[in-house]
Amino acid sequence: MMASSYSAKEEDGLHSGSAGLGGAAIRTRKPDNTAFKQQRLPAWQPILTAGTVLPAFFIIGLIFIPIGIGLYVTSSNIKEFEIDYTGTDMSSPCFNCSQSFSWNSTTPCRCVLFFSLDQPFESNVFMYYGLSNFYQNHRRYVKSRDDSQLNGDERSLKEPSKECEPYRTNENKPIAPCGAIANSMFNDTLDLFYIDPNGTKTQIPFMKKGIAWWTDKHVKFRNPGGSNPNLTAAFIETAKPVNWRKPVYELDTDPENNGFINEDFIVWMRTAALPTFRKLYRIIQKKNNMTPTLPRGNYSLEVTYNYPVRSFEGRKRMILSAISWMGGKNPFLGIAYITVGSICFFLGVVLLFIHHKYGNRNNSSDIPN
Amino acid sequence: LKILLTPNVRGNGYFPLSVGQAHALEADMEREFLETACACRAVICCRVTPLQKALVVELVKQHKKAVTLAIGDGANDVSMIKTAHIGVGISGQEGIQAVLASDYSFSQFRFLQRLLLVHGRWSYLRMCRFLCYFFYKNFAFTMVHFWFGFFCGFSAQTVYDQYFITLYNIVYTSLPVLAMGIFDQDVPEQRSLEYPKLYEPGQLNLLFNKREFFICIAQGIYTSVVLFFIPYGVLSYATQSNGVPLADYQTFAVTTATALVIVVSVQIALDTGYWTAINHFFIWGSLGTYFTILFAMHSSILFNIFPKQFHFLGSAYNTLGQPVVWLTIALATVICIAPVLAFRFLKLDLKPQLSDTVRYTQLVLQKKRKPGGRAGRGVGGAGVASGSTLGRLGRGGSRRSGYAFAHQEGFGELITSGKNMRLSSLALATFASRHSGSWIDTLRRKKHANSTDKTR
Repeated sequence: MMASSYSAKEEDGLHSGSAGLGGAAIRTRKPDNTAFKQQRLPAWQPILTAGTVLPAFFIIGLIFIPIGIGLYVTSSNIKEFEIDYTGTDMSSPCFNCSQSFSWNSTTPCRCVLFFSLDQPFESNVFMYYGLSNFYQNHRRYVKSRDDSQLNGDERSLKEPSKECEPYRTNENKPIAPCGAIANSMFNDTLDLFYIDPNGTKTQIPFMKKGIAWWTDKHVKFRNPGGSNPNLTAAFIETAKPVNWRKPVYELDTDPENNGFINEDFIVWMRTAALPTFRKLYRIIQKKNNMTPTLPRGNYSLEVTYNYPVRSFEGRKRMILSAISWMGGKNPFLGIAYITVGSICFFLGVVLLFIHHKYGNRNNSSDIPN
Repeated sequence: LKILLTPNVRGNGYFPLSVGQAHALEADMEREFLETACACRAVICCRVTPLQKALVVELVKQHKKAVTLAIGDGANDVSMIKTAHIGVGISGQEGIQAVLASDYSFSQFRFLQRLLLVHGRWSYLRMCRFLCYFFYKNFAFTMVHFWFGFFCGFSAQTVYDQYFITLYNIVYTSLPVLAMGIFDQDVPEQRSLEYPKLYEPGQLNLLFNKREFFICIAQGIYTSVVLFFIPYGVLSYATQSNGVPLADYQTFAVTTATALVIVVSVQIALDTGYWTAINHFFIWGSLGTYFTILFAMHSSILFNIFPKQFHFLGSAYNTLGQPVVWLTIALATVICIAPVLAFRFLKLDLKPQLSDTVRYTQLVLQKKRKPGGRAGRGVGGAGVASGSTLGRLGRGGSRRSGYAFAHQEGFGELITSGKNMRLSSLALATFASRHSGSWIDTLRRKKHANSTDKTR
């Protein structure tokens, strides 16, 4: 009968002591009595009580509202000026340039816009160009580049990546730099002139270095041929991109800003996330602490209108902006912080009221037996 | 078919005792049998074949909206165990056939209570929380691309870096939810046994049903809206403190990805109710791993080896070094988490479930017992208080764990006569004395009676 083989060890634990002597040879399948296996690990068990949640809401509200006010006040004090120079309507000075664009024209079309600044700009002023309705974040567009070619790799220079199609080769010669991003590089020239009260025009000096990321300029983008200053020889047997007027080794006379490491080119290659974007064009450095960088008065913006935007209903504009610790003018963040802070505080008050009036005073008498 | 309704000892219900039960399982009778049986507190079916056992279970499964559990220890219980939703096998006197066919097995019948009230309940709770969080985090992650589609010409451009997409579900968010699915406990085990009513949410399917699923999805979609539109609103016009705009694709990608990882980590921190050391390690470790891998992949070392793969060079450093970006991430986190916190607090305050009340009471008791100490082992004094309860529940019942039913009378008298085994119990002793005389004589008498019947 099966009764005889009944193992006393499978009995409840109380008798294991007495049976241990006789049943020591029998392997027990009882699980180990460790904290891990018996799910008795020491643990912290948080509970959402009124004492933790309500102060949390009040603290968040009390932190966010001052931050929001600080951000909003800082942002309101930043001066910014924007002018659209697309030239779509007839009264605009750039109307003729925008209508009569052709790829083959050798003489560039120029137009002049006049504007005035009511307030002087102190310290460094940053000049941006902005584009609208330009989808630099389109998937096919974002892929269309060759990072090893831009890093100065010789093999990629001669054989660009397939992602660059159809801007990979031109007349059997590889395009350098290849791809749709490089091909559509922004090539308008903007010049700013100050017109003082008696009519003399002075050009405002720009700084064209320091507009790109340091890692981009010094690590990511390298000219082929190493530190050889003769770029024309390095780019031999390559073609310029289809829509460019000048090849890549003639972008600037300064050898530190020529070829792939041209900062305007690098800034353009850093694709924007949204269809309306702005990119840094030039920096106007402050002269000294006495005179403002851009004094109050009349100015003229001279545009060499090279970049066609009419075909995709895009818009072009020029922006002048001062900068603070939080960047440029950005009211959204300040307003968002104030809103969220006040909502949290108000929510805290509402929850406190509800808890006081209707809340359960938790006690064990509530547990049904 | 005879169904005898005998009142039970305590007089609170009837036990039907059905004899000749084979007929009850015929098609025309089965519904009546089921209705009658369900009107009673307990039903005893004796002298059933294995097939009939399986048929009883099948009957309940088909006509009643219930989950069935069958427990047995012998080879004749195998069909019943396989038919039921949950089959439990007892490994012991009758061999291991029942164990091999079952979903769960243990050595003693009384462990069934722990299986259901402690382990089954915890398992249901963990599974529901795990599912809800898993859907939430994936919706929060994926729907951002849906919103971005409106702004990228619907070209299916991803918002995040491709390596982030690969590693998100594998490395950055898998371990915390795994730890929650393994270790979570809402109520310690002694309390689970003390309050069987805690088992009800599992029976009523309260923790994960269509309504809860849609709430998880809605929360995921809301999170994705916040995670896209807050960086969109801030970064469109933001610039770094050196004038370079922050509106480029890589900055946007890093900001959104970092905000996402932080928000889902805070959410799992809210969901986890039982923080063991392993939970701490997994949650904080996952966040740390995210930042480590982020900086590693955006470093120049990897870029120089594979320029086309790791073209996010410098993004992490340039992006996460800007205070504007951290302010954006903090704002997105608060907007995502504050409503959740408010809802959960209101639910706990206005309509606490039994498990919430028990949990709260338990922790208050522990705090009283150990002033200044954190809520540690759940055993504590609560174990002492309920030890007597356990004692009452655990000690009762016979030592025998297996029950076997046979077709005929069999050799039961072999045991009840007392000749082979010592009868320690008084009840059995009186039973034996009733059948005076040798059991062999009894058998002979019966055999003789049968043969005389046949000759007639």
